[in-house]
Amino acid sequence: MSMEFSPRSARPDPPRARPTRRSLMASTGVLPLLLAGCGADPRVSEDPQELAMWYWNRGASPQLIEQLAEQIPGTDKHLLADMIGTTFDTKLRTSLAGNAYIPDITYINSNNALYFTNEDLFLDLSELGADSVKEDYYEWKWNLGMTPKGRFCFFPVDIGPTGFFYRQDLFEEVGLPSSPEDVAAATSTWEDWIALGAELKSATGSFFVNDAQSIYLAVLDSSPERYFDKNDAPLYLQPNSTVRHAWNLAVAAIEAGITARIPQELETDRNAAWSSGLTAGNLGAAWSTQILEESAPGTAGKWRIASQPVRAGNNGGAFIALPYTCKDPEAAMRLITWITSPENQAVAYEDVQLFPSTPESFEQLTYEGDFYGDQDPLEFFSTAAKTVPTSFISALETSISGAFSRELLNVETGGKDPELAWSHTLAQAEKVLAKRGVEV
Amino acid sequence: MSTDTPARPDTRATSVPRAKPHRRLRATFPIYLAISPFYVLFAIFGLFPIVFSIVLSFTDWDGMGEMSFVGLAQYQYLLTDTRFWNAVGNTFIIWFLSTIPMLFLAMVIAFLLHQNIRFTGFYRVAFFLPNVTSMVAMAIVFGSVFSDTFGLINSALTALGLDTVPWLSSSWGIKITIAVMVIWRFTGYNAIIYLAGLQSIPTDLYDAAKVDGANMVQVFFRITVPMLRPIILFTVIMSTIGGLSLFTEPQVLLGDSGGAGEAGMTIVLYQYNQAFTEFDFGYGSAIAWALFLIAAIFSIINWRLVSGRSERTPRRRTAAKEARR
Repeated sequence: MSMEFSPRSARPDPPRARPTRRSLMASTGVLPLLLAGCGADPRVSEDPQELAMWYWNRGASPQLIEQLAEQIPGTDKHLLADMIGTTFDTKLRTSLAGNAYIPDITYINSNNALYFTNEDLFLDLSELGADSVKEDYYEWKWNLGMTPKGRFCFFPVDIGPTGFFYRQDLFEEVGLPSSPEDVAAATSTWEDWIALGAELKSATGSFFVNDAQSIYLAVLDSSPERYFDKNDAPLYLQPNSTVRHAWNLAVAAIEAGITARIPQELETDRNAAWSSGLTAGNLGAAWSTQILEESAPGTAGKWRIASQPVRAGNNGGAFIALPYTCKDPEAAMRLITWITSPENQAVAYEDVQLFPSTPESFEQLTYEGDFYGDQDPLEFFSTAAKTVPTSFISALETSISGAFSRELLNVETGGKDPELAWSHTLAQAEKVLAKRGVEV
Repeated sequence: MSTDTPARPDTRATSVPRAKPHRRLRATFPIYLAISPFYVLFAIFGLFPIVFSIVLSFTDWDGMGEMSFVGLAQYQYLLTDTRFWNAVGNTFIIWFLSTIPMLFLAMVIAFLLHQNIRFTGFYRVAFFLPNVTSMVAMAIVFGSVFSDTFGLINSALTALGLDTVPWLSSSWGIKITIAVMVIWRFTGYNAIIYLAGLQSIPTDLYDAAKVDGANMVQVFFRITVPMLRPIILFTVIMSTIGGLSLFTEPQVLLGDSGGAGEAGMTIVLYQYNQAFTEFDFGYGSAIAWALFLIAAIFSIINWRLVSGRSERTPRRRTAAKEARR
């Protein structure tokens, strides 16, 4: 959000044609209307030696970007990196829609499925030789970068393998399994996991997790099947769908009383619940190791991470894409493979804690700190990442997933009847899809 | 002939004034140029988006792909969208819960600040301070004060032996919390406006009241409030517009989702949600225009309510009655 680091300041400003007027117009969307067909360059930078890249704060390692600003290895080009603040997607979409100020290279977050309907605006990286490094990356992450048409448009950056964080001391106190291995062994199914949570609740009064939504997502994110198949046919309507299964488990957890009813948006409450021991666990991704460390510093050394039931899932993780206007796709491809190489992902982890999508990176990394006792979260999550299944996220998902979490929250905090909530969810989803022209 | 005759008066009629606008334009050009920056900027940043949003509301557009014309489909959907009507209801409840206590408090504060008390300058700054406080910092403070489990208010309630209130996860709790945030933020602002109004009331009115033996409460209700009517109208309309476009408070307190049961989902937050998190710009624009309509209707109602009792209207009515007789 803040602009404490500006890679531009490293070099003199590039020559640009009347930037004030153009940026003024482009930002309102007038430019595409006024200059449509006037032959205006749709790129951020007109300098042929310069590739412009958009990313967000902590989305890429400043150290690596500084090197790229000098020279992109293996080419005679250099990088102009623009740190885009909030509403990244809106800005990227605006520039693509207006056909103006499009970066040559852009980061895209884990919501890359939003861009599937307009995948033609991005280059197929397979045609640029991306497949030669495919073996270096976790296969499921690589597959998430594939569009429904089978084009490879989104190159892996970081990942978010998931696990179950828990307070070992509280588990130990009341005689529950407490080592990561024992907890994982005692919770091989979600039903067992809920049962263990109920035991903990009756013995200590502590909740297992903060909200039911985290359970719903943990089940969904660790499943090969999600809301839709590759043809956008709805799977969630089938009686034994993963979505329904995840919903049922979340409802069962609510009924067992193991969720603290603190929605994740209420960060203050969430942090207080962790640091006070009101909540003794968290289903989270690799990036939440740090969140937990920062929000509950008083509980250092007491947390451990166990494998979540069934298998690990993935929550979050960015991509890099090349818009069709990229002025030198080959050099851009070199940049991508350089910045996401196993060595440089290790650098990025040390720099801004991006969890590497290349298993090899972990050979160079060691975890410093004792928040998780003698356990090494890096080792845990890099192992967990191997069990994440390949899944497909549909472009339609974001329009309906909100209905599921809203109604689940109504069940959790408002005491709404789960079956009624489920039927409301389906009705809402159907309505939204119908508006988007999809009949279910 | 037939073509000549009408042409002649035409040239004569236009030739005389034609020279004038030219000269007038040359004379007034620098003035227009001087005021043009506002109009140019307004055209780009105000007028264009407004007009474009009308166009958008008749289309289905995800913000980057192709726009498709859908006619009135977005408005049709809006009428049957329970989430939208929930947002309308929330907005009005929060507006009601916040505006009335806020304006009353502001009036009282302004009245007290207008008295001859010490440290007036300090109080004026102190009451205005919330208005310029960072909203994000404020949301953290309010989140802590109203927190369900760890909040100051619930701790106080427990200490008094009362039941705790789920401020941030129940329908009314969320609305009251947001209303309190609004009150906290804008009371001082309105108080300063009232204070400015108070200072324009001639002091001889107060002196006369004092001579007649009126007490402070009588002075407040019989002189201050009636004399402030135009200022009150201004603040009521401003708070109506502000209340109907409420966005920041629920957004920073509860996130984009509007909290449990969407109890904190306001019209503008819903619009933001549709346009910028679900990238449904057509529907977002339709919501914006629905809000415009609602705001227009309520401004008119407000105007009627607050200025309706002015002296002109009854006089005109009696005049009309007399004329009828």
